[in-house]
Amino acid sequence: MGMPLEQEWKKGSAELLILSLLKDQPRHGYDIGKLIESRSGGKLRFHIASLYPLLYRLENRGWIQGRWVEKPNQRRRRYYRLTAQGQKTLAQQRHSWKEFVGAVSRITGVQHA
Amino acid sequence: MPDWKQEISKQLVGLNLPPSREQEIIEELSIHLEDLYEEIVAEGATPEEASREVLSSLSHSDLLAELRVTERMALIDPIPEGVVNSGHLLADLWLDFRYAARMLRKTPGFTTAAVLTLALGIGANTAVFTIVNSLLLNPLPVEHASQLLAMNSAVSKNTREPVDLRPISFLNLKDYREKNHVFSSLAGYSSLTTLTISTGPESQRLFAEVVTGNYFDTLGIRPLIGRFFLADEDVTPGAIPVVVIGYAAWQGRFGGASDILRRTIKLNNVAFTIIGVAPQGFKGVNAIFGPDLWVPSMMAEQVLTAQQHNALVDRAILTFTGAGRLKPGVSLAHAQVDLKTVADALEKEYPDTNQGQTVSLKPITEAAIPTNQRQGLLLGSVFLMAIVGLVLLIACSNVANLLLARAAARRQEIAVRMALGAGRWRLVRQLLTESVLLGLLSGILGFFFGYEGCQLLALFRPAEVAQNFVDPHLNANVFVFVLVVALFTGLIFGIAPALRSSRTPIVEALKEETRTAGRSARHITLANALLMGQVAVSLVLLVTAALFLRSVQREYTMDPGFETKNLAMFMLYPGQQGYDRTRTEHFYKDVRDRLATVPGVASLSWATNLPLWQRAETGIAAEGHEKRNKSEAISSVINTIDLEYFSTMGIPFLAGRDFTEDDRQGATPVAIINDTMASRYWLDQNPLGKRLQLPGQTELRQIVGVVKTADYQTLGEAHQSCVYVPLRQNYSDAMVLYVRSERNPEQIISALQGEIRNIDPTLPINDIRTGTKLIEQALWGAKIGVGLLGVFGFLALGLASIGLYGIMAYSVNQRQREIGIRMALGAGQSSVLSLILRQGMTLVLSGVGLGLILSVLLGRALSKFLYGIGASDLPSFAGASLVLLFVAMVACYLPARRASRLDPLVALREN
Repeated sequence: MGMPLEQEWKKGSAELLILSLLKDQPRHGYDIGKLIESRSGGKLRFHIASLYPLLYRLENRGWIQGRWVEKPNQRRRRYYRLTAQGQKTLAQQRHSWKEFVGAVSRITGVQHA
Repeated sequence: MPDWKQEISKQLVGLNLPPSREQEIIEELSIHLEDLYEEIVAEGATPEEASREVLSSLSHSDLLAELRVTERMALIDPIPEGVVNSGHLLADLWLDFRYAARMLRKTPGFTTAAVLTLALGIGANTAVFTIVNSLLLNPLPVEHASQLLAMNSAVSKNTREPVDLRPISFLNLKDYREKNHVFSSLAGYSSLTTLTISTGPESQRLFAEVVTGNYFDTLGIRPLIGRFFLADEDVTPGAIPVVVIGYAAWQGRFGGASDILRRTIKLNNVAFTIIGVAPQGFKGVNAIFGPDLWVPSMMAEQVLTAQQHNALVDRAILTFTGAGRLKPGVSLAHAQVDLKTVADALEKEYPDTNQGQTVSLKPITEAAIPTNQRQGLLLGSVFLMAIVGLVLLIACSNVANLLLARAAARRQEIAVRMALGAGRWRLVRQLLTESVLLGLLSGILGFFFGYEGCQLLALFRPAEVAQNFVDPHLNANVFVFVLVVALFTGLIFGIAPALRSSRTPIVEALKEETRTAGRSARHITLANALLMGQVAVSLVLLVTAALFLRSVQREYTMDPGFETKNLAMFMLYPGQQGYDRTRTEHFYKDVRDRLATVPGVASLSWATNLPLWQRAETGIAAEGHEKRNKSEAISSVINTIDLEYFSTMGIPFLAGRDFTEDDRQGATPVAIINDTMASRYWLDQNPLGKRLQLPGQTELRQIVGVVKTADYQTLGEAHQSCVYVPLRQNYSDAMVLYVRSERNPEQIISALQGEIRNIDPTLPINDIRTGTKLIEQALWGAKIGVGLLGVFGFLALGLASIGLYGIMAYSVNQRQREIGIRMALGAGQSSVLSLILRQGMTLVLSGVGLGLILSVLLGRALSKFLYGIGASDLPSFAGASLVLLFVAMVACYLPARRASRLDPLVALREN
């Protein structure tokens, strides 16, 4: 019996997803969780218990950096942005992901959509 | 709507995060929950439904476990995931080192304590090893020392036995040089001889070696400045007075003058030209004590004493030790055979002088230490190395204890690593890397401690001859030694804690609360065992130091066989001022007559030997004990003395008479012997009237008196034979003046000096000693040894008490809750104090018990080196134990007092 899809992707690519979402603009945790859920059409979902520890881990590694930001008429939230090191890691991970997907496709015959 | 913050903080219980970090997480997560709540409400749910949904998402999550992993990892600065084991050993090692360095930086208190402790241990080892290395292992800064052999003459019967080695006469040395087939060159050097150097009206004494012209070339020494002797400078006796000075003499006596070359100095009233300076650190073939300068052999007559004036022409005068460089591929055994044939030929050719003589060869590094001192030095070195080894062991076990305590605190970290998939051996390696890094850091610091220790030790050399002592030198041996010690140290103290840590049960450890983490009985047991060992070893070292200290104290009160109180000695060398025999003899008489009138002088006399600096000579023949040949003869100290010597020295007569005015040249040759000689050779006979013959002399001397045996070479030595001959029948141009005073001799020394100056203002009076100073000097080596033992003993005690203090403090800290409960239930301060003290002192007492047993065993082994006290000397054992118990008591008392002052409320709340 295989692992549930959620666990499987989390293990492999959660980091890549988060880094990708932060590539263009800083986001707060809830926003990141929502985006993953909506963009995956509800297939991928983050619990509070998996999302934040992952964010903290990425932050510990110096790939992303969180900062408390207060915007008018909004709550004080913690926004995460990609660091230079994170940019580099993202590029690397995207590259290897592409290779991985390409390899899997070639073997299984499944084409890109 | 529920209070989200409260909900979150409930989830975080047990994480023990820093408060600020915890607040941050609570705030961030509660906002998330609020967002979620609002969204659900916006989708049309009732507030109650929304709350329920949000809360259920939280309660089903494993937030705590996830956060525990990330937050702990953040705290412990993880090895980045994915490189836990790259499979590449060097890359891993580098990572491990970087990680270890970070860990050590994070706990500066621990790191400092561990490094200092180990550095003290390593420093002690470095210091002792540097000295051993300088003295025994690598003593000579010569080129390819392994090719160099020292050559002495020996009794042919027994060439392997190193006891009876003697120098070689100049003519024999020359023959050996010309007739051997094994040496590419063969040089000769004399033993140290004292010279008088005069600069203006001032004159001083210094030490010289008479060497053959090829001496420096053979050893492969290059001059620091100037040059060494040329071949044609060592051909004609007395023709070319040139001299090479040592580096220390150049710096010390000549202030490092840059125009030192071509300078003329007056040695024994002969003008010598300085032609070169030997390189720093070269002090001849001597590992301990070397000359100030070197004189070519052709100047022997000008610098040697009257007895050796004919050294260049008389085969009976043994002056030189040979130093030969082997031709490539020649072994020592081969050389021995070759030179033996030369020796046999010489024996046939010159039976008068060479009968029974052969040669003995040995590696030159062995010759660098006098044979009679080598054994003692070797033994002493091994002993001291063992002592500092024990000190280092104590330091190691201290650090092992620190590591065990730290390992307990790191259990959770280790468990997290293992939960993340770190292999056990990978973890052990990581932990060992940390301890090896600690070891290396300590090695660096310890190296400096050791070096400074050597410099400090060098300060204790007698000032007047300090520059003649060989300096302890650092070389590759020392560096390698320190490196190996540092690495091994790191492994030794690291391995047990590392293995133990890596066996951490993951789940248990993760569940544990940090404050009580690792309080397992086994940790404490291992720590206690180590501590007990430390106490035992410290006690052994203290007892040993105490035994030797008491032994040396006894030696001070030892009877050397002559009266040391109120005795002053002056060394005078009229021969070196150019006096001829008649003038010298006049001088001796003058001094006796005129100094006797100085107030406070009880009596005075002359003798060639300085007490406790005498050497036995061989080649004496005793009537009734004729040997097969001369060289098998009796060995004895020979002292040429003037009238009233025995009464001045306080040596009692046992039989016969003292020398008189009538025992002069032309009268019957006479001698006085000591009772040791009498009982050795004429047991059950009357030695008076028996006759003996001294080496190098042809006439038989009649024994006219027997005196009591004294110590001649060292204090408390085994009794030696001694022959005294009258000055009037055995002329010498260098003598020691003995003055027995009525009061403290220091008070009349200047009056005596003034009177000698009145006789000859130019004559140098050096090396003035009193009897008590003589004893001081004789015990100098022993005192240094005891001093070292004491220092190492107290170092061990200090380290052990720091260890004791550390573990007691740790244990009190761990038992706070228990102590708090006890106090809450009514235990008083004093009962808590005694509880903790009892715990510590039980440990100490069992250590002391073990230590006493070990000390008794060691004492037995050492008993033959002790003087005047038994191997289980009560004051030594009791004194050492009391000192140790007192220090241990203080080390236990401080944590105990802290425990007894705990506020039970605080103690209970903190847990």
